[in-house]
Amino acid sequence: MKILVSWLREYVEVPVGTDQLASDLMMRGFEVASIEPVPGRPDDAVIDFEITANRPDCLSVFGMAREVSVAYGTPLRMPDSAAPQDVAVGRVRPSPAPVLRVTVERADLCPVYCAAVMDVSIGPSPAWLAERLVLSGVRPINLIVDVTNYVLLELNQPLHAFDHATVGGAHLMVRTARDGEPLTTLDGQERTLSDDMLVIADQHRAQAVAGVMGGAETGITPTTSTIVIESACFEPAQVRRTRRRLGLSTEASYRFERGTDPSMPAVALRRAVALIADLGAGTARPGVIVVGDAARSARRVSLRWARIGRVLGMQVPADEVERILTALGFVLDGAESRHATSPVWEVTVPGWRGDVTREEDLIEEVARCAGYDRLPVTYPSMLAPPARVAPRLVRDARIRDLLVGAGFAECVTFTFIEQRAAAPFDPAPIAIANPLSELFAVLRPSVLPGLIDALSHNRRREQRDLRLFELGTRFTSAEGETRSLAVGWTGAAAAEHWSGSGRAVDVYDVIGLVQRVAAALHVRLDVEPTEHPALVSGRAGRVVRVDADGRRVPVGLVGDLAPTVAEARGLPTSDPIIVAEVDLDLAAPDYDPDRTVISQPLPRHPSVIRDLSIVVPADLPAARVRGTIHAAAPPTLVGVREFDRYQGTALPAGSVSLSLRLTFRATERTLTDGEVHAATDAIVAALVAEHGAALR
Amino acid sequence: MLDIDALTRLRDDFADSLGKVSTAADLQLLRDTVLGRKAGAITALYGTLGGLSTDRKREVGRALNELKAFVEAGLDARKTQLEAASAPMPSADLTLAPRPLPVGSRHPLNAMRERIERIFARMGYEILDGPETEDDWHNFEALNMPADHPARDTQDTLYLQQPFAQGTRATGDARSGVSLRPATLLRTHTSAMQIRYMERGAPPVRIIAPGRVYRRDNLDLTHTPMFQQVEALVVGEDVTMADLKGTLLGFAREFFDQRTPIMFKPSFFPYTEPSAEVFVGCQSCFGSGCSMCKRTGWIEIGGSGMVHPSVFEAVGIDPERYTGFAFGMGIERLALLAHRVDDIRAFYENDLRLLEQFAS
Repeated sequence: MKILVSWLREYVEVPVGTDQLASDLMMRGFEVASIEPVPGRPDDAVIDFEITANRPDCLSVFGMAREVSVAYGTPLRMPDSAAPQDVAVGRVRPSPAPVLRVTVERADLCPVYCAAVMDVSIGPSPAWLAERLVLSGVRPINLIVDVTNYVLLELNQPLHAFDHATVGGAHLMVRTARDGEPLTTLDGQERTLSDDMLVIADQHRAQAVAGVMGGAETGITPTTSTIVIESACFEPAQVRRTRRRLGLSTEASYRFERGTDPSMPAVALRRAVALIADLGAGTARPGVIVVGDAARSARRVSLRWARIGRVLGMQVPADEVERILTALGFVLDGAESRHATSPVWEVTVPGWRGDVTREEDLIEEVARCAGYDRLPVTYPSMLAPPARVAPRLVRDARIRDLLVGAGFAECVTFTFIEQRAAAPFDPAPIAIANPLSELFAVLRPSVLPGLIDALSHNRRREQRDLRLFELGTRFTSAEGETRSLAVGWTGAAAAEHWSGSGRAVDVYDVIGLVQRVAAALHVRLDVEPTEHPALVSGRAGRVVRVDADGRRVPVGLVGDLAPTVAEARGLPTSDPIIVAEVDLDLAAPDYDPDRTVISQPLPRHPSVIRDLSIVVPADLPAARVRGTIHAAAPPTLVGVREFDRYQGTALPAGSVSLSLRLTFRATERTLTDGEVHAATDAIVAALVAEHGAALR
Repeated sequence: MLDIDALTRLRDDFADSLGKVSTAADLQLLRDTVLGRKAGAITALYGTLGGLSTDRKREVGRALNELKAFVEAGLDARKTQLEAASAPMPSADLTLAPRPLPVGSRHPLNAMRERIERIFARMGYEILDGPETEDDWHNFEALNMPADHPARDTQDTLYLQQPFAQGTRATGDARSGVSLRPATLLRTHTSAMQIRYMERGAPPVRIIAPGRVYRRDNLDLTHTPMFQQVEALVVGEDVTMADLKGTLLGFAREFFDQRTPIMFKPSFFPYTEPSAEVFVGCQSCFGSGCSMCKRTGWIEIGGSGMVHPSVFEAVGIDPERYTGFAFGMGIERLALLAHRVDDIRAFYENDLRLLEQFAS
């Protein structure tokens, strides 16, 4: 709200300069967006205040003047309206037919409707009026329209002027629109109305959207000779719904949807009529129409002095409370109890303060005007149980630290992504109804798409060695919201070095990382071959959680990123890109951050190691070889691990030499040579039988 | 007297002793003990061969020769080992490039959020977790923002096309019935978590609710459609606005500097009454005015206020008996200020050259 300081001074004495005024009002809750000088008037300025949604009364010069009067204790002067004698507020006084008839069909949506008819000549506004509008950010049009805007800015009461000649049947009706009813609004747009919108109609059709915008047909033109000025109060939620449906926000709708003072339409109408007459632009027809109860019963709210202290933690003297609220326009009863130890007031709320509905609202007025700087500094004293941290947050923090320790940089990417980035992970992701753009159209079903974009961003900026991760929420119809870890690794696994020990990353590095995460989560994760649209065929793994009962639950994926997916995101595919995702909620549903470890006794007897080299078909998964070995071995076999894999001309085509290291140990005794021998023989026999393995 | 068993025992004893030898002197001593020309055990055994029959002499003699060969080989091998151990290692140029361990880093936004969490955890606050998709009740209605409330405009909301079941992992306790409403929107503030918490139990309450929130804002220097918040809520029988001021002053001094001043400015939030915007003394100019604080000497860090009685009523807490305060801060804003980053979008590019500066 742009406030011209010289205009403001018409209603209240301002004992300070512009900067001080701006600062003082800021400390009373009116944020200052800017202060602009007025050319040629060094003492004047335009202060642009940001008015919060609860204070529509301050969307006006007079409303701000009231705050100034409270701030400095200076008197507030009402604008001089020179009211015609026959305007009576609060009574219906029909004007003599056939000048104008007004019917309000929906008094619930339009509690007050006032109208006056004037014979006018259309011309420009005087310079002072036009200048005030321009400095307040409103474009002057002609005197009639300008006066309606002037009174809007002055009193926060939107007015609208119709060309009387165009009002069919000289009859205005406040009614709901017919479904599909057309209306061309003042901005020239053809609009289709619906039956939940309120309109001002003449005998034939809708001529204005109530509280939002007038119609083109009944607008003021240079040839208009008689006008109808409308000054009304419309129900806020109704205006807001209509404004949203039409996508049409105006100075009027902005004010109506925040709530206007029902006693103001008559006052503002009187003011507008007087201004037009005083400026020599018209004369009013006798009889002003007032439909509705302008002086409807005011709200009353109790205020307990003791409660003020209890909420604020500071005592505001009772007479100061009374002074503040009275200056703001509240009427206080119960003054006789002022000298009681704890007064209680019955407070009548003025019509322009629709935001004040209960005691706390009054307490805020007291606190705001007494000054927040007077609040003492204390600390809450309270017996609360020991504070805990949500277990998932502890888990996430530990996993993040683990990844950072492994040399990964943490990323934060947007939760909503492009549909086609989501597609390889979920063909039917959760869609946003009103996305900002196609780039943010769906909730991510996986954290990987964002990470792939982060890889792409860096890879295109001369960064070849990338280890990135993000831990965040993903959204799927099947699992709801779950938190997931995504990693992307490309370039070196071991950096280039003069000793020649550099090495590029491959999928086994990332599977190792997944296993490390499993260890931190205290679960067993396995990788099984799969096919996935985002991963290279034949190099795609499904991460499964293996429960104690052998159940295998899919919790993620790991593998080489498919070049089609990488290229679609501008990610160069010259180096392998390994990605993995592990849904932490699925992988560790029972994660307990405070898990107590029950220790196992250390082995007291030496282990025996036997190495075994076998030739098996190349497409036989190592996991199956290990499975066969475990099935054939006694419980003393405690470890099996591949330590060499060789494929070459010395072997039959399609076969591979696999070297395995077997570790045997018994808990209660030293194993004998014979036992280990027997076990190894059984294992070899099983490998031969199951897989046609040949011993090398 | 002289038999094969004795030779085996001698062999075992020798092997045992050899393993324990750690110096050249000890090795010489062992050599003398076994092979010495005068008192050597094996030398002595050779001397007894003469008293045996021809067959026995041949048999024992061969065994004795084998033993001698074993002992000599063992002594020689051990000697070589000891010599190698005492030889100097070749020198290394330690100024050559090392094999670097890869450097990991925490994202500045998450690191900032966790720093704030730690400060409040030390003050005894419980740290909450909650869903990022929400229903209208938890995000708006219960927070005194009924449908058609104009304040909803300032938090322009992203809605979901279809109702979405977040699942109890995200919403917490399934038995409370709290999670039965499917989500219809992306939460515009983490206050929704506070409602869920208060629905689950009675005061006292002392919690913080961190997490991602969403508004339909276009990307620019200072706005992103997604950002992170930390909100706090304290409810008890005697919680006052002065307590709010003390708590925020305590936080500001812990987070910024022990001399940092704070200032409350009246404001409006539907869920608090009275409401205040929170400012801290500018960390760049310390109050004298600079471009960072737009020459005001103060920097806004968040919003706060006393919990609106309608919010208490919505979650079944008696507003006559209990009072409470709440405040919220935007992580991005604090991170921009702290790290002197001038474009919020830089935090979401994940450029390694920026991230690496936050190595941890």
